[in-house]
Amino acid sequence: MSAITSGGMEARRASSGSLRIGRHRGLITAFVAFAVLFAVVAQLSAVPLGYYDIAQMTTSGATLAIAAMGQTVVVLSGGFDLSAAAVISLVNVTLATFPSDGSVSPWTLTAVGVGIGLAVGAFNGFFIAFLRLQAIVVTLSTMFILQGITLIVMDKPGGMIEPRLSEILIGDLITDWVPMSAALLGVLLLFWYWLKRTKLGLAIYAIGGDIESARSAGISTRLVQFMVYVIAGGFYGLAGVFISAQTGAGDPLVGNPMLLQMFAAVVVGGTVLGGGRGGLTGSVLGAYVLMIIVNILLVLNVSAYFSTIAESTILLLAVLSASMHRKSVLAQNLRQLLDRFAAWRQGILPSQLTLSPRKLALADIRRDPSPERAQSAMAPFRTRHAEIIRYALPAYVCFVGVLLVTQYVLGNALFHFNYYNSLIVLASFLAILALGQGTVILTGGLDLSIPWTIGLCGILLAGMVKGSDAALIYAVPIVLVVGMLIGVLNGFGIVALGLSPIVMTLAVNGLLQGVALLYSGGTPDGFSSPMLRAFMTAKIFGITPVVPFLAVFGIFAVLLLGRTAFGRRVYAIGNSERAAELSGIPVKRTTIAVYMLSGFCSALVGILLTGFSGQASLGMGDEYLLPSIAVVVVGGALITGGRGSYVGMVGGVILLTALQMLLAGTTIPISARSILYGLVILGAIIALRDRRG
Amino acid sequence: MKSTIRKFALGAMAAAAGMAFMAPAAQAAEKMKIFLSMSYIGNDWQAEAANMLKAMAVHKNYADKVDLQVQVSGPNAQKQIQQINSMVQAGAKAIIVYPISPTALNGAVKNACAKGVVVVAYDSIISEPCAYNVHIDQRKWGVESAEWLVNKLGGKGKVVMVTGVPGTTVDTLRNEGAKEVFAKNPGIEVVAEANGMWSQAVARTELSKILATRNWDQVDGLWMQAGCYTANSMQSEAGIADDKLKPCAGESSNGGRIQMLPVGTEVEGANGTYRPMGAQRWSSGSQNFTGALALKLAVDKLEGKEIPALTDVAQNIVTNENVKLCQEGTWAEMKAGCNVFQPAIIPNPGWFASIYSDLTPEVGLNAALVAQPEE
Repeated sequence: MSAITSGGMEARRASSGSLRIGRHRGLITAFVAFAVLFAVVAQLSAVPLGYYDIAQMTTSGATLAIAAMGQTVVVLSGGFDLSAAAVISLVNVTLATFPSDGSVSPWTLTAVGVGIGLAVGAFNGFFIAFLRLQAIVVTLSTMFILQGITLIVMDKPGGMIEPRLSEILIGDLITDWVPMSAALLGVLLLFWYWLKRTKLGLAIYAIGGDIESARSAGISTRLVQFMVYVIAGGFYGLAGVFISAQTGAGDPLVGNPMLLQMFAAVVVGGTVLGGGRGGLTGSVLGAYVLMIIVNILLVLNVSAYFSTIAESTILLLAVLSASMHRKSVLAQNLRQLLDRFAAWRQGILPSQLTLSPRKLALADIRRDPSPERAQSAMAPFRTRHAEIIRYALPAYVCFVGVLLVTQYVLGNALFHFNYYNSLIVLASFLAILALGQGTVILTGGLDLSIPWTIGLCGILLAGMVKGSDAALIYAVPIVLVVGMLIGVLNGFGIVALGLSPIVMTLAVNGLLQGVALLYSGGTPDGFSSPMLRAFMTAKIFGITPVVPFLAVFGIFAVLLLGRTAFGRRVYAIGNSERAAELSGIPVKRTTIAVYMLSGFCSALVGILLTGFSGQASLGMGDEYLLPSIAVVVVGGALITGGRGSYVGMVGGVILLTALQMLLAGTTIPISARSILYGLVILGAIIALRDRRG
Repeated sequence: MKSTIRKFALGAMAAAAGMAFMAPAAQAAEKMKIFLSMSYIGNDWQAEAANMLKAMAVHKNYADKVDLQVQVSGPNAQKQIQQINSMVQAGAKAIIVYPISPTALNGAVKNACAKGVVVVAYDSIISEPCAYNVHIDQRKWGVESAEWLVNKLGGKGKVVMVTGVPGTTVDTLRNEGAKEVFAKNPGIEVVAEANGMWSQAVARTELSKILATRNWDQVDGLWMQAGCYTANSMQSEAGIADDKLKPCAGESSNGGRIQMLPVGTEVEGANGTYRPMGAQRWSSGSQNFTGALALKLAVDKLEGKEIPALTDVAQNIVTNENVKLCQEGTWAEMKAGCNVFQPAIIPNPGWFASIYSDLTPEVGLNAALVAQPEE
């Protein structure tokens, strides 16, 4: 994530003294944030906090803390693990199937739990390290596969966990002095401090800093990567054991909502996404910062609809306070602004001077008769677009496979126009989101504010339109502008305040959820107008109007990314932000424009979904976040930015949509569908594999 | 002399202890501190249930007894555990919970009970035995909805199932109940099954996927935990006449119930497919008044009355035989038998109409809409 690592370069250039502080700045900030929040809770509590209350808080947050520690190891190595939360659920339900009559020892249960985590880690590690597949996609497939297995083990909450496990983990190590959870976290941290000093520990930081240099320095990077996922898996397994002890029963969904929280904890704890900088201590603090927000909301009596707004604000403030130092992006921006202002007053800004530009005499390319030039212009289409074809093709090949299976199992597909019409209508939402999310990913960022941008924009539109076609004339542009303004907000936080895209967009998502709830009072009214509904559902000569619209949109997207200065800047930033900046690319302006594009696309999807469903509902964007990322990477884009094409992303969209259509038309159990879905994604990216040495 | 002092001191201490003992009792006579712990608020059902609960708290029978504070933890079990712990710490007398999980909160709930806090869960379940539960029998919902559909189809036909959120108790119980009924009727063939996630929007997407390789004439009936309104709208858009709509067993959305009214019924504010169609429907769902009822029960318990561990509330099933339009939606009017509201009052067809119970005369339509109790 090059957008984020520039901070790391600053630190590297700093002198060794400030380096020492700089290295621990994230940790110190997390500690201060936690201390401040804790002091607020302690001060405002109606009843003074006793040992018992603090012990309970420690225990409640332990699962998230342990899981965040595992995630941190992966992030330090430059990776990304989406399977973490699914491991926790799987361990929980597996332990709940063991007899709880005392016949199985707590140690066996712990070993089983950690063992599952290690095994999943080895699975991830194998594909990531030895087959060199992208971590985010491998772990995404693993997540789907594990969710399916979890539902096979237990399809609804139930079962009992051996009570002795709970007695050991939930009680006190030293009565009224040290809760077991705190002791466990302490032991894990000691393990980490030891690991950090070993060759493996150093190598983890090294490959996170720069994997090529690490390899040149003689580190066997593949083995280290493999070990990273195995170690992380062990942490997730332990988190699963802990939550089992804490809840005393199984629930197949217990871990899932922790995924985004885990990343937030890592970032609040001062670890830099992209690797190389940070540590596990910060993540533990980060986890407790997130958990104590619950208590803050209670002591301040924040009303329900404001809770996500308050939560996001606290998250932003906690992370922002980390950038209150001389070398931060925010401080640099302010200095730059002051410098510019001073220059403007003196009248020495480049725009204020009358310079006579001396252009280099370049030969006109079009009329250049040199043979190489002529040859390259005539190079066949296949050669010129070799990279796009290579990375985009697997998705299309897999799509043809799914299509053939659909024809065989369900019929009415291959030669039926209705099938393709439905496919494109259903794919339209993701195809549009893919442009926004895809462009953000191309710059090395990530947009997590998509769900509630869709939700809020849909609700705004339905509320303004209220069934009137005439109102569309002003409502659609207003909503699209709102989407772009949301993008400006995201971009501003990332560019001007120097926040990590994950934190900024996650917080904006929470803010938007609050705004949507307040605006609608919890029950959105308003509904789509007949014309908008017809646009998404009617058939004119068998074609739904959105189909030709999508074709135009697709051409626009391909041209935007492939043929415009904006598109080239996006790729340049994704490849190296620093190099882009030095080449004179307006990195900041471009980054904001990229998030505006994503906001625009989300708003458009909000409008189309409202037309498709006839009305807008809260949470209607929730189903689109992970798929929007999945289609981009399945379509051949690199999550770290710089590589990918819209043609490929569209391939990812139609592959996943066709697969869902196939599965929905059958009566295969939900659990098996989830596993199949994961396997197909994994298969598609194995085909994408880089075979170069 | 010494002993007198000691006696005096002891007396003073006893008095102080007595006062300390009295103080909470006196406070309780003023207002009971009751918390509502919600996990998720991002949908209509939750908003309505919370509104009804808030309305109950300000009804004249309760306003001077109850001090209600509403908190949202977000959809994360650890956070709700911590929230319940901190509510106990803040001196809650009772906690009403919409639990994120039937099992994950058990430890926190057990601990709350041990401190004398009354814990009542609504709609979803808390399996810890010391908690009180208020909800409908979800398995029975599955059985009865499926039996109605089988009867409508005469025991023979192709059925599409749209389920809820996989991995939840409610979804699993409903599906089990329904599949058991379908399995007993060999003439019934379930041709497709999709996750509807209890959302009209998702139901639409999933049905579109299913219909990409099928025509409507290859489907005879629908069993949908949520989405019958959407299914009827889609058939209407596909040019199917109102009297040819497939029978659909499912949720209690107001839009779906308006569609059940005979064609030609006078309603205010109808538009598009949100209009009387005479659609053949079985309509019931998780009841939105359960939160308000949970509050009533909690107060009863705190006042020393006994309350049952499980309150299995009525399903309030609405079919074409008993569907009736409300004019204003007061509790008294609903008691007289009406069960669907004017589109002019409820512009959102996905809004849930299952708000009536003979046990909660304090709350009517205004409670669900704007948290205002009945007079």
